[in-house]
Amino acid sequence: MKRTLTVMFLVFILAAVTFAQTGVKKRRPLPFEYGRVVINNYSEKAGLAPVVFDHWLHRAKYTCRLCHVDIGFAMKSGATAIKASDNISGYYCGACHNKKPGPDGKKVFESCSTTVPPEEKTRCLRCHFLGKNVKPEYDFVNFTERFPKGRFGNGIDWEKAEAEGLVKPIDFLEGVSIKRQSLAVQKDFSLSPKLEGMPDIIFSHKKHTVWSGCELCHPEIFIGVQKGTTKYSMIEIFSGKYCGVCHTSVAFPLTDCQRCHTKAVQ
Amino acid sequence: MKKLRIFFLLLAVAVIASVSHLKVENLLMAADPVPAQEDWKSEFEAVCSKTQDAMTFSTDELKNLIARCDKLKPLIDKLDESPRKVYLRRLQLCKDLFVFVLESKERK
Repeated sequence: MKRTLTVMFLVFILAAVTFAQTGVKKRRPLPFEYGRVVINNYSEKAGLAPVVFDHWLHRAKYTCRLCHVDIGFAMKSGATAIKASDNISGYYCGACHNKKPGPDGKKVFESCSTTVPPEEKTRCLRCHFLGKNVKPEYDFVNFTERFPKGRFGNGIDWEKAEAEGLVKPIDFLEGVSIKRQSLAVQKDFSLSPKLEGMPDIIFSHKKHTVWSGCELCHPEIFIGVQKGTTKYSMIEIFSGKYCGVCHTSVAFPLTDCQRCHTKAVQ
Repeated sequence: MKKLRIFFLLLAVAVIASVSHLKVENLLMAADPVPAQEDWKSEFEAVCSKTQDAMTFSTDELKNLIARCDKLKPLIDKLDESPRKVYLRRLQLCKDLFVFVLESKERK
């Protein structure tokens, strides 16, 4: 009887240990992979590799709002359901990738087209390259070598890079964007964390509105209309809600605690 | 003779009714313009360019902007698939912000 109980106890312990080890451990993305989005709504069905979109190149040139409000890209991967016909008609990727000169005066390659001339046969691979051995036109290390370094994510302090004039994200695309008044500066505010001893969060409206405008965050991401009405938890944020919509995928990651929890404990 | 009189009476009633209807419609048009199909983009731009200032509007102004968004939706629904997808999302973002600010003001 005693032996049976011991065996059962051991089996129970072994099972508990085994199940505890089955959690999915995410690999930390490499700096050039951070913010990468794979789009495969229709690509493979059309006989093409899925699209690989790297945020680091585009965020260095354009604001979040330009793409996610004015051009209309959704905030979730695959949610836009971009079709080649959309791009051909000049929407989504086709709003900029249309053979016309971009903001730097350089011609931006055409995204999709009904016919591809023989000399441009590899053009599709510039975006549709998941699983393919393709050398990108822009190399992450070369592109970012002069940028101030950050600790996590891309390893770049994008905010500082903009402050130093190393990146100048464009917020207006002719024929697409609406001419708006410049945004009145909103006040920063502090949020007290639930955990005692943790520094307060200083939320900078200015930093966020300059890149995202108002409608990108309100009310789609932040529904609460008054400060204090929504109780945010780090579990929800880490699972991709609230701040986690951007700060788990593109903007500096949540592991960089001191970037938000900045107010010294009194 | 009696039939003719009734006919003229009916005609007079119809004329008065149509004139008064036009006047009412004109008044409504002046108060709340309904964008024509070809004007949807300029109306869209006029409405959604105001998102920056949403916090400065009164509740009545916000309600008016929301109503203008609602009137734009059926016009955008008639567009081809690509512009429809893009502009419906843009309109939704814009309207949702106005609703958000309105609710925020009404709760204060």
